[in-house]
Amino acid sequence: MEQNNQPKPSNLKSTLLQKIEDKKLCPRSRWFFRSRECLVWFLWFVSVVIGALAVAISVFVVTHHQYALYEATHDNFFTFLVEVLPYIWIIVFAVMVGVAVFNIRHTRRGYRYSLLTIIGSSVVLSFAGGSTLQYFGFGHTVDSLLGQQMPMYMSQEKYEHNLWLQPEEGRLVGRQVEATLASTSVIVFEDASGDRWRMEIQELFAYDQQLLESGKMVRVLGETKSADARIFHACGVFPWMMDGVVSRKDMSTERAAFMQRIHDHRLGAESRVQALEAETFAGAGAKNTPNMRVCAEIAAVRRVTASTE
Amino acid sequence: MTLFYYNLRMEQEPTSDLSDEALVIKTLSDKQYFGEVVDRYEAKLTRYVARLGIRNPDDQLDVLQDIFLKVYKNLNAFDTSMQFSSWIYRISHNEAISSYRKKNVRPEGHLVADSEELLGFLSAKEDGADVDFDKTINAEQVNSALLKIEDKYRQVLILRFFEHKEYEEISDILKIPIGSVGTLLHRGKKQLADVLNTDAIRI
Repeated sequence: MEQNNQPKPSNLKSTLLQKIEDKKLCPRSRWFFRSRECLVWFLWFVSVVIGALAVAISVFVVTHHQYALYEATHDNFFTFLVEVLPYIWIIVFAVMVGVAVFNIRHTRRGYRYSLLTIIGSSVVLSFAGGSTLQYFGFGHTVDSLLGQQMPMYMSQEKYEHNLWLQPEEGRLVGRQVEATLASTSVIVFEDASGDRWRMEIQELFAYDQQLLESGKMVRVLGETKSADARIFHACGVFPWMMDGVVSRKDMSTERAAFMQRIHDHRLGAESRVQALEAETFAGAGAKNTPNMRVCAEIAAVRRVTASTE
Repeated sequence: MTLFYYNLRMEQEPTSDLSDEALVIKTLSDKQYFGEVVDRYEAKLTRYVARLGIRNPDDQLDVLQDIFLKVYKNLNAFDTSMQFSSWIYRISHNEAISSYRKKNVRPEGHLVADSEELLGFLSAKEDGADVDFDKTINAEQVNSALLKIEDKYRQVLILRFFEHKEYEEISDILKIPIGSVGTLLHRGKKQLADVLNTDAIRI
């Protein structure tokens, strides 16, 4: 009689309970799900950290590129911009944002947030982290380390070396190794690849010469007079800034110094032409005149002149 | 033997007053309580999978078995911040969808019985969709129109108007943001009204 009052199990229920019994099924451990959740959050964290590093390196690369001297290295600002953008890191950043979004979406409650919120938070976190990392110089450190460890990786330092080790384009990077007997007009300069150059420095201003004499690594702008004989005519000397701490103020100072040299060379050339004309009419010899006009004709001066006219 | 044990246990400890969540906790320590979970949800889920397009009773039974076994195996994954019914509906939704995807067939809805109710909801402004359609449209036509609209809209409409789920529950079941639930409902109702009106003109 009592049996009749009991709930009558459905077929499905009895089948299921039997199956659970027969196959000895058990609920998966709580730790399995917790570990999975932790793994997803960990992967999210890793993606945000890598994204932040990508931002840090991008910020370092962008702010470190020598926009102050772009007329010396590129035809115009657009070609400069196209070349200097750190595409690989921008792609890494985009991929990491994608990975972060994927991971957030796969957390227990990730679906509750809109795609825009998730993308926005990942981007903001990566930018905040990246800026902080770059503030402490991590962008430079990681970029340099990758450059040293991976021959394929073009670090900022390698890029700058390559950009400034192009004598045929009028650019050299290296340091003065010795002065000659005529120390105010010619010095011996060793470039970053170890080649030695006879460098003419008559057209350099006093501050350029001081920088050269310091023996520090410098970038020299000018013109190659003979590639075989390694004769280079210097027009401007700029410090080598690859120590990872270059402020906006340093960049502005360098830009101002660059423009000042260009301006001085143009003015100097004009006044020398006038002096030469006067000397010619006075019948005096025109010694050193070919050298004295080189800097007014280099590509950088021509580009700046063209953009300001 | 198992069923006898189940009956005995249920007689000793009535479980009808227990909440779903409490029942889950009990099931984790004693699998016999899982029978009560099956009792509570068998009918509801049978209707739901049928509404999602699984009409054949054998297929329904297969899907239900898969659902409940999955529920049992994953009981520890149940997040107590959501309702148990949302969680079990989510598993059912996924199983039903993967079932008819596996068989590579289009869902065949069986919604007629409730379609009159849907007509009433569609006319109401509750979800902000200012849809307008011919009032003479009958439940059969609603059923047919539902099968013509996109899956994502049909799924939300079914949960809202047939299963009477709240926005938050639909969000938990379909794993989409609450804002998207509103958007999908609004668009779904519009698309349904468009199909209904087009069909009415054709008739």
